[in-house]
Amino acid sequence: MLKIENLVTSFGSVVALDGVSLSAQEAKITTVIGANGAGKSTLLRTISGLEHPSSGTITWQGESIVGRRPEDIVRMGIAHVPEGHAVISELSVEENITMGSLFRRRKFKADVPAATDEMYTLFPRLKERRKQLAGTLSGGERQMLAISRALVSRPKLLLLDEPSLGLAPLVVEQIIDSVNILCRTTGLTVLLVEQNANTALGVADHGVLLALGKVVADRPAAELKADATLRAAYLGY
Amino acid sequence: MNTFLAALFSGTSRGAIFALVALGLVIVWRGAGIVNFAQMGQAMFSTYIASTLIINGNSYWVGFIVALLSGAVLGSLIDIFVMRPLSNKKKTELLSSESMRAAVPVLASLGILGVLQALAGIIWAAEERGFPAPAKQEGFTVAGNAMPFTAFDLFVIGSVAVTLILTTLFFKKTSMGLAMRATALNQEVAKLSGIRTNLTRTLSWAISGAASSLAGLLLTPSSNLSPNTLDLALLIGFTAAVVGGLDSPAGAVLGGFIIGMVISFVTFYDTPEDVFLAILAVLLLALIIRPRGLLGSKDVRRV
Repeated sequence: MLKIENLVTSFGSVVALDGVSLSAQEAKITTVIGANGAGKSTLLRTISGLEHPSSGTITWQGESIVGRRPEDIVRMGIAHVPEGHAVISELSVEENITMGSLFRRRKFKADVPAATDEMYTLFPRLKERRKQLAGTLSGGERQMLAISRALVSRPKLLLLDEPSLGLAPLVVEQIIDSVNILCRTTGLTVLLVEQNANTALGVADHGVLLALGKVVADRPAAELKADATLRAAYLGY
Repeated sequence: MNTFLAALFSGTSRGAIFALVALGLVIVWRGAGIVNFAQMGQAMFSTYIASTLIINGNSYWVGFIVALLSGAVLGSLIDIFVMRPLSNKKKTELLSSESMRAAVPVLASLGILGVLQALAGIIWAAEERGFPAPAKQEGFTVAGNAMPFTAFDLFVIGSVAVTLILTTLFFKKTSMGLAMRATALNQEVAKLSGIRTNLTRTLSWAISGAASSLAGLLLTPSSNLSPNTLDLALLIGFTAAVVGGLDSPAGAVLGGFIIGMVISFVTFYDTPEDVFLAILAVLLLALIIRPRGLLGSKDVRRV
C-alpha cells in the first residue's frame, strides 16, 4: 500500500502540493482528478522521486521513499508513466521497451524476455512496429509504448499521468481497459491521474479530488461520480 | 595530380584525427549537455604522461595504453568532482535562469583547461618537446618515386577506424550503450526506467576522454608537445562538430573529414598561413547556412 501524509511540494514561491494526504490500496485503481494546475502531475512526480517534497511523508510497503532517487524508486516496484506519452522518439519501439527492463537484466535474466513478450501480447500493435522509431508512432501507440516501458519492469504500483491526453475516445477506452484488466488479473496497484473525470471514475475503485494542491474529497469512485455539487464546483460540468 | 593525391591523403589522415576530437565533444554534449572546452587540455595532459613514460625507457605502446587510460580516468574525475556537483539543482538555485545554469559547467570547463595547462607547465616545464610516432613519417617510395602518404598516416587512419567501429558497436549493441543513448536523449525517462544516469554521464566523460587522448597521441608527433599545443585542435574539432551537427556522432565524423580536407587543400594549394582563416570561414558558413549541422537533429538546444 502507498500512504501519503501532509505532502508539501513547492517550486520557488509556488506551492503545488499543499499538505496532501491520501492512500492507494493494493490491487485497486485509485484515481486523482482535478482541474489543470491542481497539482496532480506534481503528486506523481513527487512519488517517483523526480521532485523533492519540502515536508510530509510517502510510505510504500511500510518504507519511507522520500529523498530517494527515481532510479532507486523504480527498483522498489513503483513505475511512473509521466504526462505526454513519454517515450524516446529517436529509439525504436523495441529499444524503448528494453530500456525499461535494463536494470532487471542481471537479477531476473530469465524473466526479461517473458516480460517483453507480455507487453507485445498486451499491445499487439507494438509488436508489428517493433523495429520502427517511436517517433513514427501514432499518439495512441506512443501511450501504449510508454505504459509498456513502465510495465516491463514488473511494478507493483503504476503511476499513470493523463493517459487520455490528446487521444481519440476509442483509443482512450482501449488503454484504460488494458490497465483495468491488468489490475484485476495481476493485482497491480494503480494510481491514475486524470483530467477526464468521467472516464477515470468509471474504472476506478476510489477517487480523490484535488483542487489548488489540496484534497477536497476522498471517497469511493461511484460516490464521487454521483456528486453533482462537487463536479459543478471543481470540474465545471 | 601528385599534389592532389597528396592533399587528399593528408586530408584523410588529418580528418580522421579531427573526427576523433569532434566525436569526443559530441559524446559529452549528448551525454551531459556540456560543451567541454577542457577536452584537449585533458588530451595534452595524457600525452605528457605518455611522453614521460617513453622518455624513461618504456616502449611507445606502454605510453599509448597508459595515455588512453589516463584520458578516461581524467574525464571521469572531472565529471565526478566538478560537473556533477555543478549540475545539482539545489546548489545552483541562486542562478535564476535555465540558460545561466547551463552556462556554469561550460565556464567550469574553461577553468579546468586553464588549471590543466598551468599544471602541465609546472610539472613538465613549458618548453616544447618532441613526441614519437609509432611508424615512419617519411613517405613510401614506390619505384623510386616518393609517395604522398606515410606509414604513420596509415596508422592514424587505421586506429581511428578501429575506434569509430568499436564506439559504434558499443552504442548500438550493448545494454550500457542503450542506457547511454537513452540518457542522452531524455534524462527524465531514462531515470524513470531505472537507468543510473550519474553513471552513464561519467562513462560518456570517460569515453570522450580516451578518444581525445588518442587524438592527442596522433597529433603531437607532427606538432611537438607543449601545454598549448592542442588548443588549435579543439577549435578545429569544435568547428567539425558544428559542421556535422553537435548532437550527431556520425555528423562529427563527417565534419571531421570535411575540415581535414579543407585544411589539407588550403595547405597544399594556397599557403599554411591561411588555414586558420579557412577554418573560421567554414565555421561561419556552417552557422549561417545550416546551424543545426549536416546530420544534426532539428530541435537542438541552444548553446
